[in-house]
Amino acid sequence: MSSREDILGRVRANLHRGATNAAAAREDILAALSNRSHGPKPAIDGSPQALLERFRLKSEQQSTTADIVAGESDVPAAIARYLTTMSLPKSAVAWPSLAALDWAAAGLKVDGRGARDADPVGITGCFCAIAETGTLMLCSSADTPATVSLLPETHIAIVNASRILPCMEDAWALARKELGVLPRAVNFISGPSRTGDIEQTVVLGAHGPYRVHLVIVAD
Amino acid sequence: MEIKSMRFKANASGALVNTVLQGNLKTSKGKFVTRRAETIKELDDFEGTRDAATAIRNRVIDNLDLWLERFEQKALDTGAQVLWARDGAEVCRLVTEIALQHGVTKVAKSKSMLSEEAGLNQALEAAGIQPVETDLGEYILQIDNNEPPSHIIAPAVHKSLDQVADLFHKVHGTPRKTEIPALTREAREVLRSHFLSADMGLSGGNFLIAETGSVALVTNEGNGRMVTTLPKVHVVITGIEKVIPTLEDLSTLMRLLPRSATGQPISNYVSVLTGVKKPAEHDGPEHLYFILVDNGRADAVGSDFHAMLRCIRCGACMNHCPVYQTIGGHAYGWVYPGPMGSILTPLYAGLEKSIDLPHAATLCNQCGVVCPVKIPLPDLLRKLREKQTERGLRPLTERIGLRLWAWAALRPKIYALGAGFGARYLKWLAGGTDRIRLLPAAPEWTLGRDFPAPQGKTFRELYAARQKPAKETT
Amino acid sequence: MAKLRIGFFVTCLVDLMRPRIGFAALKLLETAGCEVIVPETQTCCGQPAWNSGDVPGAVALAKKTIAEFEGFDYVVAPSGSCAEHIRIEYPRLFAAEPDWRDRATALAGRTHELTDFLVTVLKVDSVPGDYQGTVTYHDSCSGLRGLGIKQQPRVLLAKLKGLSLKEMDGCEECCGFGGTFSIKFGEVSAAIAGRKCDNVLASGAQAVVGGDLGCLLNIEGKLRRMGDENTKVLHVAEVLAGGA
Repeated sequence: MSSREDILGRVRANLHRGATNAAAAREDILAALSNRSHGPKPAIDGSPQALLERFRLKSEQQSTTADIVAGESDVPAAIARYLTTMSLPKSAVAWPSLAALDWAAAGLKVDGRGARDADPVGITGCFCAIAETGTLMLCSSADTPATVSLLPETHIAIVNASRILPCMEDAWALARKELGVLPRAVNFISGPSRTGDIEQTVVLGAHGPYRVHLVIVAD
Repeated sequence: MEIKSMRFKANASGALVNTVLQGNLKTSKGKFVTRRAETIKELDDFEGTRDAATAIRNRVIDNLDLWLERFEQKALDTGAQVLWARDGAEVCRLVTEIALQHGVTKVAKSKSMLSEEAGLNQALEAAGIQPVETDLGEYILQIDNNEPPSHIIAPAVHKSLDQVADLFHKVHGTPRKTEIPALTREAREVLRSHFLSADMGLSGGNFLIAETGSVALVTNEGNGRMVTTLPKVHVVITGIEKVIPTLEDLSTLMRLLPRSATGQPISNYVSVLTGVKKPAEHDGPEHLYFILVDNGRADAVGSDFHAMLRCIRCGACMNHCPVYQTIGGHAYGWVYPGPMGSILTPLYAGLEKSIDLPHAATLCNQCGVVCPVKIPLPDLLRKLREKQTERGLRPLTERIGLRLWAWAALRPKIYALGAGFGARYLKWLAGGTDRIRLLPAAPEWTLGRDFPAPQGKTFRELYAARQKPAKETT
Repeated sequence: MAKLRIGFFVTCLVDLMRPRIGFAALKLLETAGCEVIVPETQTCCGQPAWNSGDVPGAVALAKKTIAEFEGFDYVVAPSGSCAEHIRIEYPRLFAAEPDWRDRATALAGRTHELTDFLVTVLKVDSVPGDYQGTVTYHDSCSGLRGLGIKQQPRVLLAKLKGLSLKEMDGCEECCGFGGTFSIKFGEVSAAIAGRKCDNVLASGAQAVVGGDLGCLLNIEGKLRRMGDENTKVLHVAEVLAGGA
């Protein structure tokens, strides 16, 4: 007998699986998958201003920094300012989807591609953001490679304020609507990577970025 | 992993006199507890969320066979492969076969307790494949002669900064560093090269999502992302009980898991991984394998211990356990310490190999009240004690003592005589003082504390005297 | 109104070790206007058997206790641990015996820990004690997490004018007693008690007070072994009834 049949067989036997309870169980499974009911969600003010404020506050509590600009065309200059303030290199890797921005005009050297080990700065957008926890939702694709938010020591993310949603449940609903199927990797990012593995003392910059900076586009 | 739970009592005694360990336990005690207490306050309906999480987990384990089939089908649809393992040995065989098939020489691992159950690292090494633990805590243990973890969330919690500093200095051959950020950076640099050169990434799975055939991985360090993004092969090993229905259910559970584990509102990285790299993508594995592991779980389905399968491995039970806080995790002798370990070890590794564990608890229920999925841990510990009694697995003296006591307690006259004698005997032992320094009938009590002296007569004697002054005895 | 007839469950530890706690509890109940009866055949509620995995022993002792106590308006015990066993566990012992389950459930609903009974059922206005000094309160596990006893003893202690309560850190943490745990794993048990005693001493209170004698024996034994001769260890009934 295969391991699969052995394991499933014992589970079935222990659940006294028979035709009748199988039918009821299948119904429950279909109901769970089609209803997609959710548990209690925190009460979050859904007005755009309140979502923006909560998202910023929660992001900052995760040690993320944030800046707000009026329009997408202001993004390169805002990023250049941040890099200058932080004394970071002016060269970055960015999602190919962001290649159309006028990086050169802001004095930045930006390559649109997946990240390599030595890239100091990674610039990404995000699929949406979540106000509840100050979280970014990034979806991988050819134009939005997952490495850009992971390998560089500095991760800069561009967030459109109109895409700040209350909760993770809202993010899934949007993904189903806009993407249909899930991309290979959905990464929810809440601040710089960190570890507490030595004496439970939290240190930023474990394997991923040391710092995460947001440029929020007010749109 | 070799089971050393039969030595629990000796291990515990050793832990109590290990001054370094006691210092480290003191340093860490309460940090997770305090942070959890703070972050659960942010939820408007924490108890309602616990109820919802409990219902989600029950929904799956109550029909686990069908949910597994559903998950498997969806995972296959995404291009993943799904394999099944009865036990640790089969896990080792499957992972080794996959590695050999893809010409893998190095495996970068993110934390997986199932890998510990299976003893996977030793098996990989024996096959000439290098396993590299990349969770900082697990890495520290791996380079310290493959020391086992002492906590499921913070595996090296028993180690002090000084010990880690010495270890890195010795193993990396670098100048000794004493700051935690510097040590963390040193590990980052060493491990970065492994991430880039590993041919296979191996991870556990916090949840398997039936709706989409995905695995959800929760990490803070980013190593979980690395091992599932860079190597060309990704292997997920998880217990068969880890399925959840939908992405909404993941959202509910994510409100509880990080808060219960480390007291964070959310972990830094929650990755939901579905299928393999698409043709035009820059990154992601070309091959994705799920190994769904039984290792005792199937037999727990529908048993007295069914509720234990709800466990989401947050570690809150051990963080809050007075026994764990006192002796640390190694004393428990297998993969899972604390209350959950005292249940899982007998279930998965054998009740007869872990005689002491179900008794290594005060039944204070601190674990039960913090469990995010409301597992009645003290009830399950008690149930294991029943099984031990049924199977005659407790020491003979204990069994006879209990029987004798219960026999007497059912016979009030005999009991009253015994209690009267006991009160006088104990008073005599105290020798006119208010305490007994050595209690011959229970010498363990007086190893570390005195036993207060009794008044000398029983309540029933004194009460009878009060009710019937005429019949007062001297 | 007719006097409430209370069946007083002494508990085996109070019977053996500290009869004065039993008398203090009697005084509190009688002062509050109850008729208190102490069934003389009572022994043990059976919790040690239950917690040791001896189900037949636990069931036999539960039946004995139910038969002895089901005739009263209420059953009161000076112990959260014993009261919890009767209230919560008794009905669960008889899944296969519906008659006994009904009797157990009926008894469970009328069984209270002492301070809980005084506060939630009798709603007493005053207590007879006259304690002078500072105390800290240890919340015992079964009472606290099993029966929700937290405010009840504090409400009563607050009625004593000369008493001031200084809460210690970790007052809700287990003292390490755990019944037979304390003799099976004596060293671990004593080490847990050590942490509790550190908190007691750090509170600076002159006495540590609690509602379960098992915990109190553990704490007293550890305090004395640690060399502390000053901190009094008292059952809440003794403090409330006076003379402690």
